[in-house]
Amino acid sequence: MNVQAVSNISFSLEEGDIFAFLGPNGAGKTTTLRLLLNIIKADSGEITWNVNGSGGALPQPENIGYLPEERGLYLDIPVIRSLVYLASIRGMDPSKARISAMEWLERLDLAGRAQEKLQALSKGNQQKIQFVASILHKPKFAILDEPFSGLDPVNQEKFIDYIKEINKQGTTILLSAHQMSLVEKIANKVFLINAGQQVYNGSLSGIYDAFGKKQVIDLLFKSAMDESVFQKLSDVESINKADDNRMILTFRQDTDMNKALSELAEIEGISSITSHKPDLHEIFLQLVKTHKQ
Amino acid sequence: MKYINQVTRVTLWEYRRFYKPKNELLGIVIMLMVSAASFFITRYAMSDSGEKHKLTVVYGTDSQLIGMLTANFEIDSVSVTQQEAAISKIAQNKDGILLLSNESGFAIQAYKKSKKTKLLIELLNNYSRSMAMQEAGITQKTMNLIEAPANVTESFIYTDNSRSRSIMAVFFAGLMIMAVFLSFAYQFTAITGEKQLKITEQIVSAISPQVWMDGKIFGISLTGISSMLTYSLLGIIGGIIYFQFTGLPVSNIMNFLHLPSILLYLPFALTGILIWNAILAAIASVITDPNNSGKSSLMMLPVLFVLSSFFVTRDPDSNLAVFLSWFPLTSASAMPMRWALTEVGFMQMAGSYILLLVTFYLLRKLAAKIFRVSILISGKEPSWREIYKLSKES
Repeated sequence: MNVQAVSNISFSLEEGDIFAFLGPNGAGKTTTLRLLLNIIKADSGEITWNVNGSGGALPQPENIGYLPEERGLYLDIPVIRSLVYLASIRGMDPSKARISAMEWLERLDLAGRAQEKLQALSKGNQQKIQFVASILHKPKFAILDEPFSGLDPVNQEKFIDYIKEINKQGTTILLSAHQMSLVEKIANKVFLINAGQQVYNGSLSGIYDAFGKKQVIDLLFKSAMDESVFQKLSDVESINKADDNRMILTFRQDTDMNKALSELAEIEGISSITSHKPDLHEIFLQLVKTHKQ
Repeated sequence: MKYINQVTRVTLWEYRRFYKPKNELLGIVIMLMVSAASFFITRYAMSDSGEKHKLTVVYGTDSQLIGMLTANFEIDSVSVTQQEAAISKIAQNKDGILLLSNESGFAIQAYKKSKKTKLLIELLNNYSRSMAMQEAGITQKTMNLIEAPANVTESFIYTDNSRSRSIMAVFFAGLMIMAVFLSFAYQFTAITGEKQLKITEQIVSAISPQVWMDGKIFGISLTGISSMLTYSLLGIIGGIIYFQFTGLPVSNIMNFLHLPSILLYLPFALTGILIWNAILAAIASVITDPNNSGKSSLMMLPVLFVLSSFFVTRDPDSNLAVFLSWFPLTSASAMPMRWALTEVGFMQMAGSYILLLVTFYLLRKLAAKIFRVSILISGKEPSWREIYKLSKES
């Protein structure tokens, strides 16, 4: 069966960017990343690179780092050997790779396990090793597909710092992740893809300017509520039933909130009401939902 | 240069990953211990306790026959009327044999077929032959002359088809099969295992599929060759020990190490190993799950081709032998065999070898292409048709 995974998308990254490449499952993110890395070829279109002033085709492997979505390392081989090998096939001198790998392992509290086989490590620790394998050779450009997957909140925060750090050291980053709260802490540009099509491409501040001015009202009820109750409200753009007794309403930009609140006051059983500007997670949901319609 | 560096790195990685001399030696030691234990146990089980077997004959049996049997049997004679009682005794004791003889031949009654009955039949055969010789008036000396082979002095104009060269040709073909078989297991782990562990995507984002494939082919061939050398060395040491114990000079084994043959057979065998590794790598590339793939049986192909090259030994100058010595999937073993058995011109050997090299060059390219195409198809095992279609498109 032929499936068109990605169609008619266009984006560009500048040196120093942390570019968030977002989309729901099956949107075409990983396919796009594989196209970028020439693992698979597109039927049509053009991908051009300009890393270190050498334009044209895919840069040399030493300039590229890749953390694939489908994790995989040699399970039956000591951690340090795998790291040195993967860095060396990307052009790094093995002795330098060993020193650098040990430094990273120290930072990740895994130095003592350098000689252990990867299969002896927990899933989270294996993920850390996978991350190190993708950036150990200090690439100019790194593609990180789901770098936070399998990490606990403490380590997720640490990884935010690591990504910021390598970015400051000169690595441009293309980041694909589902944790919007983490993405908005580090990205400066955002690209949203849905069903293989481009939904948004621009700066992070731009997405807030374009879609973040709406008002989000979070309502909590004493008992279960039905969505249909809210459909008669004027200026409501979307209704999101977060729980049986919790509704999140997004109002259109420039909504008269006095009017909206007085309409809400007529609905019985509200136990709590909070309002805020939509965050990236909500904008993401909103855009995907609108795009589907 | 970069290609060579990358291929070298992948080759060494694969080699170090799979070639474990310690494990290999340990395996050999265990194998020798098991073989020695099996040898002694079998020898003990097959050995004769020296105890004579019980044999019952009827009064009147030829004394010459009884004389021949007494060395191995404890003979008891009974009357014709006691035959039934003798058979009942055999059934009761589950032991012993009753031998009846008449003019037409012999009849044996035993509890079950055993080594004893086999021995008795052998002795009866000798007795019958000896009776026939006596009847025909033939002495043992005359019989020996009848059975002796013709006294022929062999003299040839082409004398280069020596035994040592033929033995070396078969030896190298055997080593090639062994190296390919060892590689067979490693290719599965290296390629199919790597696909299952999802490492391929990480690797091919750093190196081209061709570098990856060449590294695998060279690294695993090197592993197979190393194991092959270990076993060869062990074979030579074993041979030396054998000659030492049998009182023959060690130089006997040196007679078989015909240097010009080795110099010819080695490049053919090495290139043959590389060719088969390229084919095995291509097959492994399209296998997702080795336990449930119908393509796994294709891994037996090398044996079929290498064994078919033994047709050369029937008539090394036949059209079939010439074809096999040129056809790249058989020439690695067939050409050395032909060279050992008949006159083969230098140009023929060079041509066959160049064809072998060109085939390897193309097969490794094909293997890389198949690998590249197979990683496009995820979630299921690609059919050969899909691979062909995608290969044409890519």
